[in-house]
Amino acid sequence: ILIGVTCSPPQNYPLYIRSVPTENELKFHYTVHTSLDVVDEKISAMGKALVDQRELYLGLLYPTEDYKVYGYVTNSKVKFVMVVDSSNTALRDNEIRSMFRKLHNSYTDIMCNPFYNPGDRIHSRAFDNMVNSMMMQVC
Amino acid sequence: KMSVPDYMQCAEDHQTLLVVVQPIGIVPEESFFRIYKRISAVSQVNVRDSQRVLYIRYRHHYPPENNEWGDFQTHRKVVGLITITDCSSAKDWPQTFENFHLQKEMYGSTLYDSRLFVFGLQGEIAEQPRTDVAFYPSYDECETVEKRIEDFIESLFIVLESKRLDRATDKSGDKIPLLCVPFEKKDFVGLDTDSRHYKKRCQGRMRKHVGDLCLQAGMLQDSLVHYHMAVELLRSVNDFLWLGAALEGLCSASVIYHYPGGTGGKVGSRRAQGGSLSAEAGNRHRPGAQEVLIDPGALTSNGINADTSAEIGRAKNCLSPEDIIDKYKEAISYYGKYKNAGVIELEACVKAVRVLAIQKRSMEASEFLQNAVYINLRQLSEEEKIQRYSILSELYERIGFHRKSAFFKRIAAMQCAAPSIPEPGWRACYKLLLETLPGYSLSLDPKDFSKGTHRGWAAVQMRLLHELVYASRRMGNPALCVRHLSFLLQTMLDFLSDQEKKDVTQSLESYTAKCPGTMEVITLPDGLKLPPVPFTKLPIVRSVKLLNLPTSLRPHKMKSLLGQNVTTKSPFIYSPIIAHSRGEERSKKIDFQWVQGDVCEVQLMVYNPMPFELRVENMGLLTTGVEFESLPAALSLPAESGLYPVTLVGVPQTTGQITVNGYHTSVFGVFSDCLLDNLPGVKTSGCTLEVIPALPRLQISTSLPRSAHTLQPSSGDEISTNVSVQLYNGETQQLIIKLENIGTEPLEKLEVTAKTINTKEKLHGDFLSWKLEDTLSQFPLKPGKIATFTVNIKAKLDFSCQENLLQDLSDDGISVSGLPLSSPFRQVVKPRVETKPINPPESSKVGDFSHVKTLEAILNFKYSGGPGHVEGYYRNLSLGLHVEVEPSVFFTRVSTLPATSTRQCHLLLDVFNSTEHELTISARNNEDLILHAGECQR
Repeated sequence: ILIGVTCSPPQNYPLYIRSVPTENELKFHYTVHTSLDVVDEKISAMGKALVDQRELYLGLLYPTEDYKVYGYVTNSKVKFVMVVDSSNTALRDNEIRSMFRKLHNSYTDIMCNPFYNPGDRIHSRAFDNMVNSMMMQVC
Repeated sequence: KMSVPDYMQCAEDHQTLLVVVQPIGIVPEESFFRIYKRISAVSQVNVRDSQRVLYIRYRHHYPPENNEWGDFQTHRKVVGLITITDCSSAKDWPQTFENFHLQKEMYGSTLYDSRLFVFGLQGEIAEQPRTDVAFYPSYDECETVEKRIEDFIESLFIVLESKRLDRATDKSGDKIPLLCVPFEKKDFVGLDTDSRHYKKRCQGRMRKHVGDLCLQAGMLQDSLVHYHMAVELLRSVNDFLWLGAALEGLCSASVIYHYPGGTGGKVGSRRAQGGSLSAEAGNRHRPGAQEVLIDPGALTSNGINADTSAEIGRAKNCLSPEDIIDKYKEAISYYGKYKNAGVIELEACVKAVRVLAIQKRSMEASEFLQNAVYINLRQLSEEEKIQRYSILSELYERIGFHRKSAFFKRIAAMQCAAPSIPEPGWRACYKLLLETLPGYSLSLDPKDFSKGTHRGWAAVQMRLLHELVYASRRMGNPALCVRHLSFLLQTMLDFLSDQEKKDVTQSLESYTAKCPGTMEVITLPDGLKLPPVPFTKLPIVRSVKLLNLPTSLRPHKMKSLLGQNVTTKSPFIYSPIIAHSRGEERSKKIDFQWVQGDVCEVQLMVYNPMPFELRVENMGLLTTGVEFESLPAALSLPAESGLYPVTLVGVPQTTGQITVNGYHTSVFGVFSDCLLDNLPGVKTSGCTLEVIPALPRLQISTSLPRSAHTLQPSSGDEISTNVSVQLYNGETQQLIIKLENIGTEPLEKLEVTAKTINTKEKLHGDFLSWKLEDTLSQFPLKPGKIATFTVNIKAKLDFSCQENLLQDLSDDGISVSGLPLSSPFRQVVKPRVETKPINPPESSKVGDFSHVKTLEAILNFKYSGGPGHVEGYYRNLSLGLHVEVEPSVFFTRVSTLPATSTRQCHLLLDVFNSTEHELTISARNNEDLILHAGECQR
C-alpha cells in the first residue's frame, strides 16, 4: 500500500509519500505520478458539474495488473492517492472512502498548524502515526 | 496470422485504397523518396464524371502477410503497385521488366493494377507507348508523374467499381463464397455448406465486404447501409470476428462522416470530407489543404445541406459520436476473443483512441489505451517494442496525459538501450529521454530552479537525470554528460542522500578529468540548447560585502573640488526629485572608492552543504565596468561547515564604475560563473562603486622605535604607525621620518599637520615643529625613492612640582602682579584647576618627583600625486607619536626678594633635580648652575 499526498496545480509535486514495503519505492512514485493524469482529467470533467455537491472521492483511478489506484481531491485541489494491492479484496470502496476521509482530516489538522507553510513537505508525527495505523490495518 | 501492427492507423484509413510504392533494382534512396513524396502527394482523386472522391494510402513497405487480411478489411489489401526503377541501358531492360513482374507476384492476388516507372532509359524502348510503364529520362525530368498517378488511380477506381457492383448485385440465390481470414481457413474444412447458418454467415461476411468496398469507392451512405445489414446478419450467427469488423466498419464510416478533419492529427495530410459533397467538391481537391479540427457538435450542424432527404437517411444510419465509442468497445471485445486477431484489436484500440481524443473524452480514451497495453502480440522484436511504447506515449500525449506519455516514452527510451540489443541506440535513447522532460515538469535550465525551494517529483526526476547522464556518457559525449550531472547536483542537492552526494560528485570528478565543465551553452544537433549550470550551491554564498581599503590607503577628496562638484549639478538646494533619485543611487552605490592599481577586497560568507570537504579552486570575482584583474583563490571548506568568511581580491586596472556581479569557481572540475542576481538569499550591501585614478603610496619609517601603545583613534582616523620616544622635560629631540614612495605613481604633494591629543598636560611652546620646505625640495618623489623629513620634538611641561607654588608666592605679601616674569623656561601665570586631579593631594605633599607624563600627537601626512591628484584625491597617512616626558628639574619653591631698586625684585626659585644626571640650568643672562643628581639648590 502506498499513500501519497500531492499539492495543488500547477506543479503537483508530492507533499508526502509513504509506502510499504519500501524497497520498490521508485515504482510507486511512477505509479502515483502517472495517476495524476487521471486525477487531473477527472477534476476537469467535474468542473462542469455542480461544485457544491461535488464528491471528493474520485474512486478507482485505474487498475493495473498488480495495483489499484484510488484518488481523492479536496476542494482546494490537494490530491490524495492511494495504491493498494489488487489481490487485497477485503478493501471495499467504502473502506477506501473512509480512509481517505481520515487522511483528509489529518491533513486539515496539519494545515491548522500555524508553523506549517502550505506547500512544504509534510513532516508531522501525528500524520505519520495516522498513516502507519492505516497501513497496519490494511496489510 | 497478421503480425505487424500499423500503429499509425486511424478510422479514415478504412476508406483508402492501399498502394505500395517500391523500388526495384538499385535506386538511390534519396531519389526514390523524392519520387515517393511526389506520388504520395496525390492522395485524393476526384473521379471523373462522378462526385466521389478516392483516397489513396501509399506505403513503401508492406508485409505480404498483412495483405492476406485484405478480405477481412479491404483497406488492408494492396490494390495498386507502383515500382520505381533505375535503368540506364536498353540491355538491362528485359531484366528490369522481369523484376517488375516478380514484384507483382508478391501482392499478385490482390492487385487491381500496377505501374512501372523507369528512370534513365532513353531510346526506342522508351518510345513505345505503354500504359503500365512510364519512362523518364531522369529523376529531375518527370513532370508527368502526378498525371500518371491520377490515371492509374482512375484505372484502380474502375476495377474497384466493377468489383463493388459485382458483389453488390450477386444477391442471394447464387452461392456466395465464404470470405475468411487466414487463420480461419482450416476451421471451415468439411463444414456443411448448405446449412442456413453457413449461408447467413457467408451473406453477412459478403455484406460487410461490400460495405468496405462502398466506403473505399466514396459511397459513404451505401456503406453504412451495408454495414448495418452485415451487423444484423453476423450477430444472428455469432460470427464474432466478422461482427467486430462490421461494427468497426460502421464506426469508421460514421467517424468519416462526423469528423471530416480526420482523426490522425497529421495536419495537412488529412483532407476534408464533408457530408455535403457537392458544396465542398471544389475545395476538396487542394492537396495539403489544412483543416482545422472542428468540434463534433459544431460539425453535425455544419454538415446539413440542402438535400434534406439524404440527410435524414444519413442521420438514421450514421452512428452518433457516443454510439461510435460503444460500437468500438463492442468490436474490440469481439476481437479480443481471437488470439490471432491481436493486431486488429490493437489497431482498433488505437483508432478508437484517436476518435476519443477528438471528442475530448480522455478518460475513456485512457481505458482503451490501458486495454491496448495488455494486448499480447507474439514476441515483439526490440524495435517493435520501441515503436509500440512510442506510439502509446504519443497517444497519451494526445489525450492530455502528459505524465503517462512521459512514462511510456521513457520506457521506449530504455528499450532503445536494452541490454538484449547488440548495438544499443544510445543516441535514440537520449533523444527520447529528452522528450520526456516536460512530462516530468523538468527543464534543463537551472534558472527555473533558483526561485525558492524545488518542487516536483524529485525521486522520479532524479532517476531521469541519472538516465540522461548515463545515456549521454554512452553516446560518447562527455561534455553533455558533465552538463547533466552538474545539473543533477545543482538542482537536486536537497534531495540527494549523503551517499548519493558522494557518488555523484565522484563520478562528476572522474568525467571532468577528461572534459572539464564549462559555462558555454551546449547546443544539441536538434537545436535544443542546454544552458550552463553554475554551481551556486557549492558552496552556498550567503552574503557579499565589498571592503574598503585600509585607512592609510583610503582616498579622500579635496574639499574645494568636492564642493564644486556636488552642488553645480542642480540649481536647487533641495529638490524632492533629486533627493529621490539620489536615494536610489545610494542604495546601490557604496560611499567609498577603490583606487586603480591597488588591491581591493570583497568578503563572501560561504558554507559547504556537502557531507565532505569541498575544495573550491580558482575562486575569483566577476565584475563589469572596469578592467579588473581578479586574483583567484583556492579554498577548502570542511564538511557541512558553518558560515565561513572568504576574501576575494583583485586589482582594478582602469578607472570608472565597477560592479561586482558575481564570482567564478571551479568545483569538481566544473567551472561556474555565479551571478549574484540569480542567487537566492544573498545579502549584499551594494555592489557598485567608483574606482578612482591611481595614487601614490607612501610608507613611512622613523628613527624612533615602534611603540606598543596605540593611540585611541579620534575622529575616525586610524594610525598606521606608532612610535614612541622618551624625553626629559624640556628636552628636544629630532625625529627623522623617512618617506618612501612604494607605489607606482610619483608623489607630488605633501602636507603635514599635527594634532596633539593629550591635552591634559599643559604644553608650552611648539611641541612639534618642522620645516617642510627641505622635504618638498626633494619632490616629486619618484616611485621607490625616499625622502626624509625632520620633526623636532620639544617637550616642555610645567616645571612646578605642585600647584600651590604660586600660592606661596602670593603669601609673601608682595604683589607681583603685573610684573613680567622672565623665566627662561616658562611663565607661571596662574594655578590651573584642571591639573588638580593629576597630582592627587596625598601623593604630592612634597611633589611627586618621579611622575612621568605622556604626550601624544598625530602627524598627518596628506599626500597625492599622479592621475589621482589631477582628479583631486589625496591620501592620508598618520603617524602616531607617543612621548613620555620624564621630569627633569622642579621648582620646589618660589619667593621674591625686594631688590635694590623698587622697579626690580629678585625672584628666588628652589630648583630640584629629579633626574639621575647632572644638569645645567641656564637663565637668560645669569651664570650657569650645575645641579647634580637629586640635588636641590637655591
